[in-house]
Amino acid sequence: MLTKFETKSNRVKGLTFHPKRPWILASLHSGVIQLWDYRMGTLIDRFDEHEGPVRGVHFHNSQPLFVSGGDDYKIKVWNHKTHRCLFTLLGHLDYIRTVQFHHENPWIVSASDDQTIRIWNWQSRTCISVLTGHNHYVMCASFHPKEDLVVSASLDQTVRVWDIGSLKKKTVSPADDLMRFTQMNSDLFGGVDAIVKYVLEGHDRGVNWASFHPTLPLIVSGADDRQVKLWRMNETKAWEVDTLRGHMNNVSSVMFHAKQDIIVSNSEDKSIRVWDATKRTGIQTFRREHDRFWILAVHPEINLLAAGHDNGMIVFKLERERPAFALSGNSLFYTKDRFLRYYDCSTQKDSQVIPIRRPGTPSLNQSPRTLSHSSYSSTEDAVLICSDLDGGSYELYIIPKDSVGRSDVVQDAKRGTGGSAVFIARNRFAVLEKSTNQVLVKNLKNELVKKSSLPIPTDAIFSAGSGNLLCRSEDKVVIFDHQQRLVLGELQTPFVRYVVWSNDKESVALLSKHTIIIASKKLVLQCTLHETIRVKSGAWDDNGVFIYTTLNHIKYCLPNGDSGIIRTLDVPIYITKVSGNTIFCLDRDGKNRAITINATEYIFKLALLRKRYDHVMGMIKNSQLCGQAMIAYLQQKGFPEVALHFVEDERVRFNLALESGNISVAVASATEINEKEQWYRLGVEALRQGNAGIVEFAYQQTKNFERLSFLYLITGKLDKLSKLMKIAEVKNNVMGQFHNALYLGDVKERVKILENAGHLPLAYITASVHGLKDVAERLATELGDNVPTLPEGKTPSLLMPPSPVICGGDWPLLRVMKGIFEGGLESAARGGAVDDEEEDVGGDWGDALDMVDVDGMENRDIEAILEEAEEENDEGGWEELDGLDLPPELDTPKASANARSSVFVTPTQGMPVSHIWSQKSSLAAEQAAAGSFDTAMRLLNRQLGIKNFAPLKSMFIDLFSGSHSYLRAFSSSPVVSLAIERGWSESSSPNIRGPPALVYDFSQQEEKLKSGYKATTSGKLTEALRIFLSILHTIPLVVVESRSEVDEVKELVTIVKEYVLGLKMELKRRETKDDPVRQQELAAYFTHCNLQLPHLRLALFSAMGVCYKSKNLATAYTFAKRLLETNPMESQAKTARQIVQAAERNMTDATELNYDFRNPFVICGSTYVPIYRGQKDVSCPYCTARFVPSQEGNICGVCELAVIGADASGLVCSPSQVR
Amino acid sequence: MAAMGGGGPDHLFNLRNQFYLGAYQTAINNSEIPNLSPEDAVERDCLVFRSYIALGSYQLVISEIDESAATSLQAVKLLAMYLSSPANKQSTISSLREWLADSTIGNNATLRLVAGIVFMHEEDYSEALKHTHAGGTMDLHALNVQIFIKMHRSDYAEKQLGVMQQYDEDHTLTQLATAWFNLAVGGSKIQEAYLIFQDFCEKYPMTCLILNGKAVCCMQMGNFDEAESLLLEALNKDAKDPETLANLVVCSLHVSKSSSRYLSQLKLSHPEHVLVKRVSSAEDNFERAVQSVA
Repeated sequence: MLTKFETKSNRVKGLTFHPKRPWILASLHSGVIQLWDYRMGTLIDRFDEHEGPVRGVHFHNSQPLFVSGGDDYKIKVWNHKTHRCLFTLLGHLDYIRTVQFHHENPWIVSASDDQTIRIWNWQSRTCISVLTGHNHYVMCASFHPKEDLVVSASLDQTVRVWDIGSLKKKTVSPADDLMRFTQMNSDLFGGVDAIVKYVLEGHDRGVNWASFHPTLPLIVSGADDRQVKLWRMNETKAWEVDTLRGHMNNVSSVMFHAKQDIIVSNSEDKSIRVWDATKRTGIQTFRREHDRFWILAVHPEINLLAAGHDNGMIVFKLERERPAFALSGNSLFYTKDRFLRYYDCSTQKDSQVIPIRRPGTPSLNQSPRTLSHSSYSSTEDAVLICSDLDGGSYELYIIPKDSVGRSDVVQDAKRGTGGSAVFIARNRFAVLEKSTNQVLVKNLKNELVKKSSLPIPTDAIFSAGSGNLLCRSEDKVVIFDHQQRLVLGELQTPFVRYVVWSNDKESVALLSKHTIIIASKKLVLQCTLHETIRVKSGAWDDNGVFIYTTLNHIKYCLPNGDSGIIRTLDVPIYITKVSGNTIFCLDRDGKNRAITINATEYIFKLALLRKRYDHVMGMIKNSQLCGQAMIAYLQQKGFPEVALHFVEDERVRFNLALESGNISVAVASATEINEKEQWYRLGVEALRQGNAGIVEFAYQQTKNFERLSFLYLITGKLDKLSKLMKIAEVKNNVMGQFHNALYLGDVKERVKILENAGHLPLAYITASVHGLKDVAERLATELGDNVPTLPEGKTPSLLMPPSPVICGGDWPLLRVMKGIFEGGLESAARGGAVDDEEEDVGGDWGDALDMVDVDGMENRDIEAILEEAEEENDEGGWEELDGLDLPPELDTPKASANARSSVFVTPTQGMPVSHIWSQKSSLAAEQAAAGSFDTAMRLLNRQLGIKNFAPLKSMFIDLFSGSHSYLRAFSSSPVVSLAIERGWSESSSPNIRGPPALVYDFSQQEEKLKSGYKATTSGKLTEALRIFLSILHTIPLVVVESRSEVDEVKELVTIVKEYVLGLKMELKRRETKDDPVRQQELAAYFTHCNLQLPHLRLALFSAMGVCYKSKNLATAYTFAKRLLETNPMESQAKTARQIVQAAERNMTDATELNYDFRNPFVICGSTYVPIYRGQKDVSCPYCTARFVPSQEGNICGVCELAVIGADASGLVCSPSQVR
Repeated sequence: MAAMGGGGPDHLFNLRNQFYLGAYQTAINNSEIPNLSPEDAVERDCLVFRSYIALGSYQLVISEIDESAATSLQAVKLLAMYLSSPANKQSTISSLREWLADSTIGNNATLRLVAGIVFMHEEDYSEALKHTHAGGTMDLHALNVQIFIKMHRSDYAEKQLGVMQQYDEDHTLTQLATAWFNLAVGGSKIQEAYLIFQDFCEKYPMTCLILNGKAVCCMQMGNFDEAESLLLEALNKDAKDPETLANLVVCSLHVSKSSSRYLSQLKLSHPEHVLVKRVSSAEDNFERAVQSVA
């Protein structure tokens, strides 16, 4: 049982859940009805109008109403919104036990100790039916959730089912009610609208409770005989099905669970019991020390129950609802019901993987608690499922990756006991052994590999990256490296429930019931967040923001601990992954959901935090981030200049501008507002920054002349100062005038002012001190006797204001923290764009690489298939070699060091792979790769008559050096050479040697052929010849797999041979410039080589030209005709047609050529003369070029390898030929 | 070597792993570990000096280790002397033999290890095994695995590996030796070797040794393109690493690219490398074969 909420109060007699909101009403023995929010754990309201205990209470399912009934015989209907009792229904003559609203009609059913059940219409506020028949207190009565039935339980030891079908029919219109009421009174004791359908007898004592099953025709009842009885009914009868015994005292209340096949009952024996409704056995018992239970309530929608007892009530659920899950990358494994399932976040595809074990005994909370997953190899996943079964146990399943959805058979999982089990490496997991406080490291065969003692008393372990464990105790967690046996980090925490690592494994979030702690991977505390309601789950987004859920919110937490709400939730969810704007989560039904959220706010705050001002500016420009909260946040975080961009209100703008020192914005705002206060503050700020112009402006606006004149004094603007003096004069401001005169050092003016103001003595003194004799005298005469005496013995000096350091303009301005930001503003658009571009490029690269990979895979697969086919036949052969000369196995004795040399016998050396190759193969290329050059040469000689090996030297060496790779094994020891085998596949057996991997293959030769064609087309004949010859030289060392490919190779030889021959003749022709006849002949022969059409055209064109130049018009004519037949390009065709025309006029040859095109011939590969049909010839055993008989025994002039006319068995280039 | 299970913290764990995985400079840089017991300190020094040897700084090792140093360190010095110049080889071997015969120090694990390495270089495997076969440390067992692989006796290598696995299956050397063995026997085992190197990549910083290991696996699986990119990455880390160069030569041949530059580089920097020897012997071999066939 998982207690979610608990209250302490007077005895609780009635309970009801609100169908939608997290509220519960508890009616107390004291007469009070309490309204609780069980989610927040707060008392929302109390209703205190009943006198004496309130036993029945019920929420209406749609209106803001509830009904209560108490020992004051009153039924009260309340509006909880307005906190008022709407009205009271009177009629019962004794205590009221239960009250209940009807699910659709405006009815209330009530059960009373007056032995009646009454049905009320709460709209007309009248009693519409009285159900009589029980002959003792009626303890409980309730409507059927769908049908027109009422079930009641009474201390008369019976349970009755009432049919109220006729009542319903009679109340089609509410107007009937009044009439009905009178009628009802008349047939009060012969009630026809509600008749007893069944009387269920079987309990030996009074029955306290009876309730319907929500969907099935079942009734469950509990009685003072301590029994719970299950009844079934059909259309005509009802009967007892079974009795559930176990309670030790009166059963108070019993109900069917809304969602599970479970019966829950409670009793005065201080226990709540849970029964399996199908097997009808007790599953679990929860006991309280001192409190008798009185009432039970089931939430209609969600998986919650409540029970009232002597000292309060509890809200609880029977089973955990959090599905066990584990995420790696985009793959989510989770459990639902009895299956392990797989969800791919990228495709949002959900599939069932395998069934998992069903617990042997029916009991609660034995379902998987946690899951740990390891992508064990490219073909298999391993999943660990931990549950509380047998006091903590785990099961290990190995799942082939491609088996998703296929298997229906429960795998025989590997099991073990342990507090918790998690993967710590690809093929290792750790199991907590609580009794010894050790972790057992096991491999995937469930075999113990290692044991490590844990540094702290641990009650659970979590994964913490490769090789590390996060150990949890009551009040702290540590990260423990089990290999080094070192504690890497330690942190005091509340009891941690879940651990969520960031994607880069640099940060970890530790979730407790009400706390989230963010720490680094070494458990250095970064921030702590407290929540008032329970924290449920969380995941890291790619930017390092932690997104989490509480019972009713999705929230974020920035790395600095700032948090906020993203959105509210109706039902709790369990976040599995956050990807951009999408939150993947599992709900309580085990369904995967993808929720799109608006991430702007936290992304914005994160950008601020990371000082990514370009992003900040970009977001300001493009999004609708606004609101007081955001402005307050920005101000509080010291970013008034950012807030400035959001604000329209001028006053706020002005304040923010001043705060951020943005004078120009402040001036604009101040002009808008135009109030003294703002101008004054602007002036102060401008002065602080040293912006004298603005200061002046501000002072002018407020007509603050004193300040203004002082400003002019210190900025040395004397002209303005004198202007001010005049203004003061006009305004008759004597003091101001005098000030200004003093600042100006204008003594005459001062004297004048003093005089005008009537301060004659002062004027006199001033004048005389400053040596204005005439004025002084004049004043003296005016003063007469009252001439003041001047102090003696002091030398007067002229008081002049100091001249300012800089006159005019602003002082050096105070540096405002503008730089970054203004820069940011300007470059925002630009910078943003660049960033985007870069990212795009990155994406493209990624794609390109992927494609390459895919290609590689495909190729390999095909090869693998080919190879497999071959392998089957091959294996026998290779295996024979295995047993060759291995000596009998010797036990390596583990003798003591002293005796080591005497006992140990060094094994003889085994056979290197290259030896196996050379023993096995009859292909020259493989022999060369194995290093048996002489064998290779003999083979080539025998098969192809090759005698000139010089051109093959580099190929032999390449084959040989490409046959091994080099592995640096033990430091400072010699490297290990590893033979590279051809045609590897995942299923190749170890220790059975495949043939060597060769550096030449057929496709390379085809590529070369193409480039040879290209070189020919572009007229690079020497280059082309080199390429074609290299093909001819490589082919003897090429190995292909299938027979059909052998034919292709042979075909390639003949194609290439033609080109080599042709090109050699053409090159020869170009050398023999001085012999036009030979030139023409060679050109003519070239046209008889088997060439590609474009090349044939070129050959014909040149032959045509050569012959035409030498006036051999008839021969040129034949070439021109042949050329025209090939549909040449227009330029060629034009020339050809001209030649045809010219030749038709004069069909003669100037010289005679050894060339008869009518007579079929081949060309001798050495002497380049035609060998007409019927003449004797010899051929090259390799390239099949033909020669005049005199060339026999020479090296072939075409391929330059084989001996003309030598005996040879033919090209062998595939193992398929050898078998 | 710390016993299985209990015991205090293993201070040398990281250092050992860095050394085994070829992060020699890192190992040297991080060798200042406080609170080491005397035995641990000697082992630490051995690892540091062996790292220097692996980096080719033989003279530094020879001059740093003086007469008073522990036997293990003397053995390491001997290895440095052996590798430093071909001229010293015979004298070094004879003093090695002398020490091995000395019953007081002959049983020292490091000395036996050095003997194993030296005789392996001499290709005298039975002499090497004479000293190493009894094992006793992970290093010795791992060396045994390698010797048996070199002798093409994977059956024996497997047995040695079994001993290592029994002792500590998760030890870095066990994992490495498993990878060597898997590569030696080939077939489906290569994929397991690849995964082992892949695990190292995830757990530790990449080193030339790990990258080469992965690349060799790729080549064995016929995936030369991936091997090439891994090797180029390794070349970035150390442009003179002989195995990287050698494997690049092989890999280039298979992807039809020119290998001559890597080969010349290898010839210049490591004239004694197996591949260089192979190529030159192949040339002679070719001429001889031409003669014999003619």
